[in-house]
Amino acid sequence: MTLHQLNNHLNPAPEALPASPALRVDGLKAYYQTRWFGITREVRAVDDITLRIEHDEIYGIAGESSSGKSSLIKTIAGAIRPPLNVVGGTVNFDFGTRKVDLYTLKPEERTAIRWKHLAYIMQGSMSVLNPLRRVRQSFIDFAFRHMGMPMPAFLKAVEDHLLRLHLQPGVLDSYPHELSGGMRQRVVIALATVCRPGFIIADEPTTALDVVVQKSVLTMIREVQREMRASILFVTHDMAVHANLTDRLGIMYAGRLVEEGRTRDLFRNPRHPYTLHLIRSLPRIGDAEPRQGLEGTPPNLADPPPGCRFHPRCPIAMDVCRVMVPPMQALGGGHRVACHAVTEGTVQ
Amino acid sequence: MLKIFRDLLRFNLEFAIGTLIVSIIVGLSVLSFFSPYPPEDIYVVAPDVPPSWEYWLGTTSRGQDVFWQMTAALRNTLLFGIAVAAISRVISLTIGLVSGYMGGMTDRVLMSINDTFIIIPLFPILVLFYFVMRDSMSWALLALIMAALGWAYDARLIRSVAMSLRTREFTSQCIFSGMSPRQIMTREHLPYVLPIVFSTTLNNMNWSIGMEVTLSVLGFTDINTPTIGSMLYWANQHTALVAGVWWWIAWPVIAVMLLFIGLYLLATALNEYIDPRSRLSRMGGAT
Amino acid sequence: MKTYAIYLAKRLLQFVLVVFIGINLTYVISHATPIDPVEQTISALTSFGNTSPEAIETMRESLRELYGMSGTPLEQYVSFWSRIVVGDFGPSLSAFPTPVSELILRALPWTIGLLVVATVLAWLLGNLLGGLAGYYRKNRLLKAMGLIAMGLHPMPYYVVAFVLLVVFGFLWPVLPISGGSGIGVGRGFSFDFISSVLLHSLLPALSLVVVGLGGWFLGMRALVSNIVTEDYVVYAELGGVDRRRILTSYVMRNALVPQVTGLAMSLGAIFTGAIITEEVFGYPGIGSLLVDAVHAGDYSLVLGITSVSIVAVSLAVLVIDLLYPLLDPRVQVE
Ligand SMILES: Nc1ncnc2c1ncn2[C@@H]1O[C@H](COP(=O)(O)OP(=O)(O)O)[C@@H](O)[C@H]1O
Ligand code: SF4
Ligand SMILES: [Mg+2]
Repeated sequence: MTLHQLNNHLNPAPEALPASPALRVDGLKAYYQTRWFGITREVRAVDDITLRIEHDEIYGIAGESSSGKSSLIKTIAGAIRPPLNVVGGTVNFDFGTRKVDLYTLKPEERTAIRWKHLAYIMQGSMSVLNPLRRVRQSFIDFAFRHMGMPMPAFLKAVEDHLLRLHLQPGVLDSYPHELSGGMRQRVVIALATVCRPGFIIADEPTTALDVVVQKSVLTMIREVQREMRASILFVTHDMAVHANLTDRLGIMYAGRLVEEGRTRDLFRNPRHPYTLHLIRSLPRIGDAEPRQGLEGTPPNLADPPPGCRFHPRCPIAMDVCRVMVPPMQALGGGHRVACHAVTEGTVQ
Repeated sequence: MLKIFRDLLRFNLEFAIGTLIVSIIVGLSVLSFFSPYPPEDIYVVAPDVPPSWEYWLGTTSRGQDVFWQMTAALRNTLLFGIAVAAISRVISLTIGLVSGYMGGMTDRVLMSINDTFIIIPLFPILVLFYFVMRDSMSWALLALIMAALGWAYDARLIRSVAMSLRTREFTSQCIFSGMSPRQIMTREHLPYVLPIVFSTTLNNMNWSIGMEVTLSVLGFTDINTPTIGSMLYWANQHTALVAGVWWWIAWPVIAVMLLFIGLYLLATALNEYIDPRSRLSRMGGAT
Repeated sequence: MKTYAIYLAKRLLQFVLVVFIGINLTYVISHATPIDPVEQTISALTSFGNTSPEAIETMRESLRELYGMSGTPLEQYVSFWSRIVVGDFGPSLSAFPTPVSELILRALPWTIGLLVVATVLAWLLGNLLGGLAGYYRKNRLLKAMGLIAMGLHPMPYYVVAFVLLVVFGFLWPVLPISGGSGIGVGRGFSFDFISSVLLHSLLPALSLVVVGLGGWFLGMRALVSNIVTEDYVVYAELGGVDRRRILTSYVMRNALVPQVTGLAMSLGAIFTGAIITEEVFGYPGIGSLLVDAVHAGDYSLVLGITSVSIVAVSLAVLVIDLLYPLLDPRVQVE
């Protein structure tokens, strides 16, 4: 080993560092704080969430509707606006060339990072394109500034990008209403990724599409990830999609993360009663009887139940569940769960 | 209901101001019942007296006390507005509910007719109506024709609410339980559209009162019934402005302007309460 | 292309419907009411002196002929329509023997000029300011304008025109309050004439603009404050699209679409406002002509003006409708 090599070994160049995770979220809290006719309401949609996402990883978030998935990733993307406010916690990105603590930045700086390093695909992508503007115009509005090239080169780059994603450059001349639902979704993904960002956040991009179209969108996302080596934070309530796409999976219930682990592990060996329910309710070939549903309704996040928020619906709830919030426990292999029953070894 | 009213009063400034203004106007019109002489009578007090302790708002060149004259005028004007609004609500509601509930061809035909009544310039038609009726023209007849012409705008609003009700689950439940379309419309949908009906009522009153004032000032109505419009008509006939009898014109104009603003504020506040997104009702210059 | 053709056909159909219903309405009012305009005219004409019964009878005959009220109801109906289609409403009674159509044609340019200028001005200004007020909700000046607009918008045209007349005619007489041009100023393409016309149109136009402005302002402000919550605006803001671009091409541009529909829908009301305003300021347009015709008992003229008004307004609406697809590529094919 030469001295030079030794030196490199001891003080590796920044790229070669055992990189910090692409995203670190610590104790994040974000509430909807509203005043309407004199009554103040606080909806605790994101309550004390901690998670890590590695480089080059597809991380999924699951949970029923209204569990706070969108609120969480809006907060992570820095895409919040009143009445949603960050109440506590931090969001740290490592884009390789740049590390940022999102909520210490000024709003303008946050905006500058989005699109260039961070792609955010908002829920309801059907309506995120201006209906009165051609797709080409949208690409120019959103991405031209970031690419730093003259217009003809920029348009060429956009067309190349579309071709790589198996989209005809002809879509650039269309108005959004002229495109089918699946096509529009794919155009939105192309728009969000045209600057080749290192981190992609997608909120329910496959919801409201039929199964065949869904598949093409998923294929596209997988290709984008493979090509750009980007990290993806992918939200959907559809467990089947998670099973097909994500590397790791976090389960949200009523504004909290209740379980997290490698997708494979979670499906094989779910530990939290709510995760168990989600996986059991997946239809499977050979089902004899209909899957049993959960009783009760999701809690009102303006006034969540004390202790474990799942206890009113949990089939194995204990006394401690009603008073104490279960802490997140590591089970090894990156598997974490927040449930008193698991901690106390009541369930295996 | 009462609680909503109280909340609106406390937290919606527009509603509070509107309520205050309209209460004052209604109060004044109630006072008309205590007038010392019938409002149609002329030369009952000394003419052309400026506002004074004896005659607060002055007297007219026709020997009427402007204050008492105005209370009667406000009462009749308000009643006129209410009458037009009440009659035209029946048409608006019927067309709006049927169109919104039935959808399809019925909706298209009804809305074409509806838009026709929105587009047609109504003033020349009202003038033509007066022209052929002349002396047979009465307060009630005018209210009737205005109601027959002025329902379309609100029918469109009611239709849009009814259309959104049609897709709600309870409507299909009603259909499965064997209710007839008429039953569904009157028993199930009507309660939902009532709030918007209420706010359109206020706007419709503004429209009809404005039109009445205009027609009366030109002398195109029964000018012997005291209304704000006919009061101004007589003031113009006596060239009150040139003669310096400004109080004959100023008070009724101020009163009716306040009434317009009050009704409008109430309607706006109600609209915002019903649907924060529908602040655009009555956009444009549909006055 | 095909969708545009369908759209076109629908708009034309609506135009035909408006004219059909409107003209029938005038027919019903003038023919089916218990009051006979012929008798009305006779009593108006004979109220000033003694006329022999024979003279009255001849008068009745010729008036019936003139008003298209002779023959069976069907014949009357057909003749009513044929007059309107060719635009021949017979001679005017008050300006005998000038044809009604000529009187209307003389007055129409004044009304159209006043109306177009005032409407365009009010619409553009109201939308611009209202759009800004909706986008910059915190701006004090724009907030104050909103308050003024809320006070002005509910006012009927007559009241605003009247108040302006009092202010500029009696309290602070700086502007001409009556007529279309100065007395003694020769007509023609001279500076004097044009400036006189402009000066005389100032108050009528001002009252129209003042009323219209408030409505467009409030409508646009409400539209914009809804549009800024639309996904595509939120997304553009999150994407860091240039603020001015968002304001112009995302917010204002999109809010203008319903405002154009609104313009088409309120043309009838605006027209009503214009003719009322004309009457207040003695402006020599359709409005003054109409009121004078009523006072003179000129049935043919009243009928002619009513019919022409209906056709003119529906034509203007049709023009806006046909231009609409230029503004909105999503031509509606329901
Ligand atoms: N603008 C808002 N104001 C108040 N509460 C909101 C708002 N948007 C969402 N919420 C509430 O926040 C909670 C989480 O919603 P969301 O993040 O959209 O859930 P998900 O994406 O999982 O369906 C829900 O209870 C919802 O009612
Ligand atoms: S903590 Fe208790 S209530 Fe919550 S999931 Fe576990 S067992 Fe159920
Ligand atoms: Mg969501």
